[in-house]
Amino acid sequence: DRCRCFPRRAMHVPSAGSGPTGLRFLGQEEAQAIDQELFTEYKFSVDQLMELAGLSCATAIAKAYPPSSFTTSQPAVLVVCGPGNNGGDGLVCARHLKMFGYQPTVYYPKRPSKPLFEGLTTQCKKMDIPFLPEFPTEAAFIDELYGLVVDAIFGFSFKGAVREPFGSILSTLERVTVPIASIDIPSGELWLHLPEEGARQGGPSSSLAMGLVAGWDVEKGKADGLQPDMLISLTAPKKAAMHFTGRYHFLGGRFVPPALQEKYALNLPAYPGTDCVLQLT
Amino acid sequence: VPPPLSPQAFPLPSLSRRLPTLLVACGPAQTGAIGLVCARHLRSFVGDTGTRRCRCRCRLQVQLINDAYNAVVDAVLGAEAEVAEGTEPCAAVLATLKHVRIPIVSLDVPSGWVAGRGGSSDLRPDVLVSLGAPKEAARRFQGRRHFLAGRFVPEELQRKFGISPRRYPGSDCVVAL
Repeated sequence: DRCRCFPRRAMHVPSAGSGPTGLRFLGQEEAQAIDQELFTEYKFSVDQLMELAGLSCATAIAKAYPPSSFTTSQPAVLVVCGPGNNGGDGLVCARHLKMFGYQPTVYYPKRPSKPLFEGLTTQCKKMDIPFLPEFPTEAAFIDELYGLVVDAIFGFSFKGAVREPFGSILSTLERVTVPIASIDIPSGELWLHLPEEGARQGGPSSSLAMGLVAGWDVEKGKADGLQPDMLISLTAPKKAAMHFTGRYHFLGGRFVPPALQEKYALNLPAYPGTDCVLQLT
Repeated sequence: VPPPLSPQAFPLPSLSRRLPTLLVACGPAQTGAIGLVCARHLRSFVGDTGTRRCRCRCRLQVQLINDAYNAVVDAVLGAEAEVAEGTEPCAAVLATLKHVRIPIVSLDVPSGWVAGRGGSSDLRPDVLVSLGAPKEAARRFQGRRHFLAGRFVPEELQRKFGISPRRYPGSDCVVAL
């Protein structure tokens, strides 16, 4: 007699491929709802998902900017980590970049006193990943020392005003010429207050009709907000990604269960094979 | 020069059934937990897999396993196992798995090999996935494919424990040994 361990036939669950409406871009509330469901219903721990997210970021970077493509003598990468989970993603990313043969350096000015972040910091330090005591004062210094900057400052759940030192950091990063790879959403208030319709021509800096965006001073002229070369969207792209004009857009965070993808009609394209990242553009 | 090995020992087109079905047998300790993670990722690699993890106490029939599944993932016992091998339900599970004819993929150590002395009564996996570094028991492995996975051991630790470093290709998390 067959017990219930044996499938009568494997259950056919339609995979969430691209639907007729195409890839969806999530609003902040929806993205947070999916996260909540992953934690409360699926019982994922923050550690688990952060590890997979950070690994995706490092993997995407390795695909777009292989070590051999760096013009600096070493494949040196500056990873700028913010005060929340996006910063945690950055710490994980830095650790995997080191494993992949890069030379990451971390700047982590505001560190939550929680075991998760303390652990991630310890792991990086014990792998000889240096933590800068202060942020380079000039964009030119960053251009000289590093071939890539990873923006792990603010994520999609960021609310409110940008507090120091991150305002100054973002101002410096806006003037950097080496590529910037942003994790999940480019950091800065500009990106959080974009209109929710599709990309305007020329990107977020173009139109005065955008009105008064907090922190964006029209008088500054080319105060465009961070313009990353790469964006790694985690789980699913956020609405802000519709305005992304960089060269590389990757999807990472391959942990959304098929049933959850169905429920939110994410219409994610299929990841290739067992890869943890998918190149969208 | 042999062609580059794919990290997938069982690429989907090679599986004979219409939908790839895998039995993931998870033991009571850490290796079993790794099996659960493995099962979850396998499910996401193929939308339609009928992956099952069987932790019941029923008698597993060899023929039923051969018929219902394409392969078995052995995540029952790991390098830590000494005592657990003799206790139920692990002992019954291993007794059954030793007789299945479909391929077995063992995680870290073929279950039962640490406590056993080696020989024809042992589980004989087709594929071994060593985690972190190969264990002593892996010396006796004679199956088709041996992979190293668990790309998380810092170089300092590898040096400290005399683990010969292995080059993982690019950003891959497995390397064929």
